[in-house]
Amino acid sequence: MPTKYIRSVLGIFGESPFKPVHTHAEKGGEAVRKLKEAVDAYCNKEYITVSTLDTEISGIEYEADIIKQTIRKLIPSSMMLPVDPNDLLSFLKPQDSIADNAHHTAHWLTLRETVLPLEIQQGLLELMERIVKTVDAYEDMVDDIAKLLETSFSKKEIKQILKKVPIVEELEHEVDITKKQLQQKVFKYEDELGGTGVFYMISLLRDMGNIADSASKAADRLRTMILRR
Amino acid sequence: MDFFNPIILAVLIAGLYMAWNIGANDLANSMGTSVGSGALSIKQVVIIAGVLEVIGAVFFGDRVTTRIAKGIVPIEDIIAINPDIVIIGALAAILAAGFWITFATFFHMPVSTTHSIVGAVTGFGLVATLYLDNFGLDQIKWDILAKIVASWLTSPLIGAALAFIIFSLIRILLLARVDDPYKLETKFGYLQILSACFVAFAHGSNDVANAVGPLSAALAAAELTPFGVIPDWVLLLGGIGIVIGLATWGWRVIETVGKGITELTPTRGFSAEFATAVVVFGHSYSSLPISTTHTLVGAVVGVGLAGGLAAVDLSVIRKIIISWVITVPVAALTSGVIFAVIMRLL
Repeated sequence: MPTKYIRSVLGIFGESPFKPVHTHAEKGGEAVRKLKEAVDAYCNKEYITVSTLDTEISGIEYEADIIKQTIRKLIPSSMMLPVDPNDLLSFLKPQDSIADNAHHTAHWLTLRETVLPLEIQQGLLELMERIVKTVDAYEDMVDDIAKLLETSFSKKEIKQILKKVPIVEELEHEVDITKKQLQQKVFKYEDELGGTGVFYMISLLRDMGNIADSASKAADRLRTMILRR
Repeated sequence: MDFFNPIILAVLIAGLYMAWNIGANDLANSMGTSVGSGALSIKQVVIIAGVLEVIGAVFFGDRVTTRIAKGIVPIEDIIAINPDIVIIGALAAILAAGFWITFATFFHMPVSTTHSIVGAVTGFGLVATLYLDNFGLDQIKWDILAKIVASWLTSPLIGAALAFIIFSLIRILLLARVDDPYKLETKFGYLQILSACFVAFAHGSNDVANAVGPLSAALAAAELTPFGVIPDWVLLLGGIGIVIGLATWGWRVIETVGKGITELTPTRGFSAEFATAVVVFGHSYSSLPISTTHTLVGAVVGVGLAGGLAAVDLSVIRKIIISWVITVPVAALTSGVIFAVIMRLL
């Protein structure tokens, strides 16, 4: 008897796109934590380590891309989801940018060996610390999606997860403030850094800011997705 | 005529094959939801389903079996003219349904055994009018056939509505209130054993007819069993055939589908199964043959509409509708052709 002698209707059960969404968020977090190591190494002038970490982050970003494609394939038009599929996709996009921006930043770090004044170094480490905090809070929020689905969007769980969105936004705001202060300091040390050094640092800070910005945008889209269902 | 008449034996064997296929595929599908949610192991499911299927078939299978045997085509009218026609017709119908189901299974089409047998029996009735002078098209019970076909459309819808209500109640009254929804799922795992039993029981009461409906018509025509009563042993035979199908092949189907539906937690599984069982058993009580698996699909969509499932693939519904439209004419035509061929040979 061939093993394919099966007549089944249980193809009605689609594969959940929310599990890979969770894994995808974790990839972003992983990339950002690796980036923190890279920034530490950069400040310690361990440029070979920076380069190794850049390769690792590039790998993580690639994995995240693959997961993103898998999720898209899981949502054909015939698939009925508890949320608007378009909302899910527009939430996925900024979430994907977290790993993307971490990768940009890591790559930027490999391009130039800049000797940083101590105050700039400290500022950079603080900024990175705040970015990690933002992304950690973001991951914590995404963790709650499983419970949201389990209770099929109970009011209590919706409240719970929506409480976490402003936390991410607040942390992103702090990243922004730290970034602006650091930008001022960069110009304060413009003689020491030189024109190229200033350009390098300003670009670096913009890329780093984008990481937290993506997390905050994704959190906002998640809120929209939940409220619009 | 005795039991060892080759045509009676052929009807018996074809009926048993039909029963085997029903157990191997349809019953396995209905039981797959319990394995998918992790409520029961495959071995447990096979044992529970086996026992309850037989009970449902023997104690409540007679209504639908009577409907298939003589409710659509009034075989008493034909027996009065020529009982052999009924025996040959029963063979043609069961063979036609069996062929179509085998074909559909090989090509993974979500075809219903119920639709096949109803189409095949109707096909026999239509072609019989060509062979008998005193039996016309107006004697086929079109009103009952219309009622049956209408129930195929409404049963998945009722299943969906009922599952929607059941899951919504669970969601509002329990899932939204408990501190740990996962603990609640564990408790529903036990309830799901009950709903799985209910599904097997309801399935037995409705689907045994697809295997033994024509057989009981042939036995009555051959005067081997009294007319108008379906003997328990015939229902038992059908039930056992279905269980053998489940035990010899159905467990693989359960395994395959169970792996694919891990998203179905016990609260969702319970809602879909309970709704399916209520609808199917209700139809058995009303002597209406319906598709258990199509009702289950409706119930799953109902749970999905209530926000209970992460993803429901509605493309299956299109496939079901297509195979639904194909099945009845194909089974009817095949049945008519087989009947004509046998008549020519004899």
